[in-house]
Amino acid sequence: MTTSTYIAGRGFLYWFDARAKLLTVVLLCVLVFLPMRQLGLWVLVGVAFLCAWRATDFKQALQPLRTILFVLIIMVLFTPLTYRDGEFILFIGQFPFITREALVQVNTLIARFLGITYVCSLYVWTTPMADINLAFRWYGLSYQAALVLTLAFRFIPFIADAFRMIQDSHALRNAVRIEGETGKRQRLLDVVPTVTAALVFALKSIPYLAMTLEHRGLGSSVKRTSYRKLHAKGGIFTHVLLSVMIAAVFFLVFITI
Amino acid sequence: MKHMLEISTLSFAYQGYGEGVSNHPVLRDVTLSVAEGAKVLVLGVPDSGKSTLARILCALVPRYLAGEVAGSILLKGTEVLQMNPWDLLGRCTLVAQNPQEQLLMTTCGDEVAFPLESLGFAHEKLILEVDAALQKWGLLPLKEVNPQELSGGERKRLLLAVTEAIDAPLWIMDEPFDDLDEQWRDILLKKIQNRNGTVVVFASRYLDEFRGTFDQYCLLTEGNIITDTEEIIVEQFEQASEIQFPLAPKTLKTISHRLSCNQLTIVHPRRSVISNEPFTLHVPEFTVEAGEIVALVGPNGSGKSTLSRVLCGLDLALEGSVSLDGSTLSAKALQATVGYLFQNPDYGIFLPTVRDELGWSLRRIPRLSSKRKKEIVQSCADLFHLQLADNPTMMGYGARKQLQAAVYYILDRPFVIIDELDSGVTYAAAFEIVSLLRSRGAGIVIITHDRTFARNLAERQYKIVEGNVEETEVGA
Repeated sequence: MTTSTYIAGRGFLYWFDARAKLLTVVLLCVLVFLPMRQLGLWVLVGVAFLCAWRATDFKQALQPLRTILFVLIIMVLFTPLTYRDGEFILFIGQFPFITREALVQVNTLIARFLGITYVCSLYVWTTPMADINLAFRWYGLSYQAALVLTLAFRFIPFIADAFRMIQDSHALRNAVRIEGETGKRQRLLDVVPTVTAALVFALKSIPYLAMTLEHRGLGSSVKRTSYRKLHAKGGIFTHVLLSVMIAAVFFLVFITI
Repeated sequence: MKHMLEISTLSFAYQGYGEGVSNHPVLRDVTLSVAEGAKVLVLGVPDSGKSTLARILCALVPRYLAGEVAGSILLKGTEVLQMNPWDLLGRCTLVAQNPQEQLLMTTCGDEVAFPLESLGFAHEKLILEVDAALQKWGLLPLKEVNPQELSGGERKRLLLAVTEAIDAPLWIMDEPFDDLDEQWRDILLKKIQNRNGTVVVFASRYLDEFRGTFDQYCLLTEGNIITDTEEIIVEQFEQASEIQFPLAPKTLKTISHRLSCNQLTIVHPRRSVISNEPFTLHVPEFTVEAGEIVALVGPNGSGKSTLSRVLCGLDLALEGSVSLDGSTLSAKALQATVGYLFQNPDYGIFLPTVRDELGWSLRRIPRLSSKRKKEIVQSCADLFHLQLADNPTMMGYGARKQLQAAVYYILDRPFVIIDELDSGVTYAAAFEIVSLLRSRGAGIVIITHDRTFARNLAERQYKIVEGNVEETEVGA
């Protein structure tokens, strides 16, 4: 029940210290909610995408986009309906669909959402889960709280992994010998039993996860030691400085205040 | 004589759910004494309560799986039933039957280190102990690999490495030999024999290698434990598990199909580590005829499941193709031609009753009246000893495996791959499942580590040796 989000790769993100990287993630996530120029937001998305591509591969780099695509489509469709002020620039028949201001709003929302998704994905892709745990603890989180957070990070992909295995199993059960017999509608309908099975599977695994944690000593009054230690090449100060500089560059170049 | 473990009149019943449902008794007045340093083998057919007893001994049940417990368990004089699981770390360690249940961390090194961190080992000692334990179980090169990317046998070895690193005086091992190939089974047996501490092994199969290995032989049957000489216990166990290998019935169908692959190359990279040489499997030639039983054997992590996933169209090969009667099949067509019974039956079971589960497989068959569908479902349930109203989630592991096989019986695939059927079910049940699937004319590939099982069932055998698949003598 421990699927990792970590993907082995090469590049500066892999030697960038987990603590400094976490600080960068937080700073960039805050930054996208400040009044930044839209170009700045898209530069951030673009840089994050290129980093993801460099760290993994093109297909994997597209994964966050694919994951949130449905939400993005909903944003594009419904946000214009909530911003009705200003100059209408698109009509559907007689119906005024979108104003210039709404277009700006949609653009900003999408860029923010994509930016945050890519920045967070990059962090968990390029940082081993044990290092994320240590980074949380370095910032003062208790061991138990850090463990809960990292387990949550692991449990979600675990469900995704179980989902894929169950999907495979159902694909084999559902397969028919005549090509074209399974339409898209049928595939959509088949998602329901697959999701049900994945949820049942995940729920059933919870007591075993808790059982194993306690069997391996979680809850004991003995002071825990640590197998892993975080090492920042050149010192943690350099890494934190780099982290702050990345956020500062975006802030100074693209902020509109 | 000092006792490590003293179980007195231990009874346990799982909590029943639903109105009017009574608790299901699993153990009844179990009494057993285990001397310090003794090596004990407890045999029992699947679903006889071995895993439940193992978890009770580690104070995990009824804490996490609700039920009523009575009696006493003394671990070196301390009452286990009143202890917390973490207090037992360093005193007894459990190796679970299903390794997936016990994997917590995202690298093999961290997995071994986690309990040692709980015991307060110093950093330098931790590094030494982790490396030593991984080295002993052949996993040191996989130290940074995610346990999810390991094969079933490698995961079991990882749990054994954790157990060895903790080095508690009492090892409780639930089916520890399952999933292990012959080399690692021998190593485990030697470790058990040479250990100073106490070992209690729960097993649902008596392997030839067990002969003379243990100091105490027991049988868990009808909720109770019987202790006797090795000969008597093994005889009683074989009676209870109906071990027999009758000849496989002749196939009823006369349609002849041939599944084959030629010059297949399969590459399977790991996500968690960068390797310049990703796992690669070469299959110069592999064929299965309709009605034939072929064994696929090989060491842990050799690529048996990887090949199986390509054969049934779930993954693609880098080079080469899989064909049916000489025609190359697409992945989609392969999925409709080759069934795959996953090692874990839960991946394919999701409906509330056995009736729904079997009926779901028939919904794609056009022009079948509902009356006819009901008849098919009923007869299939009878063949596989299933009750239509049962809830699969509440059924035992062996029964879930039978349901999984029943689903493929109804689907009537020309070829079926069965992954480690022999773990979790008796030989008799495994043989029956294979015979039933074969009776419809299916060509069957069985993946197994059990040479006895392969020898008694398979007509031909393929073995994976150092990334190459080659045909060998059955049982070799």
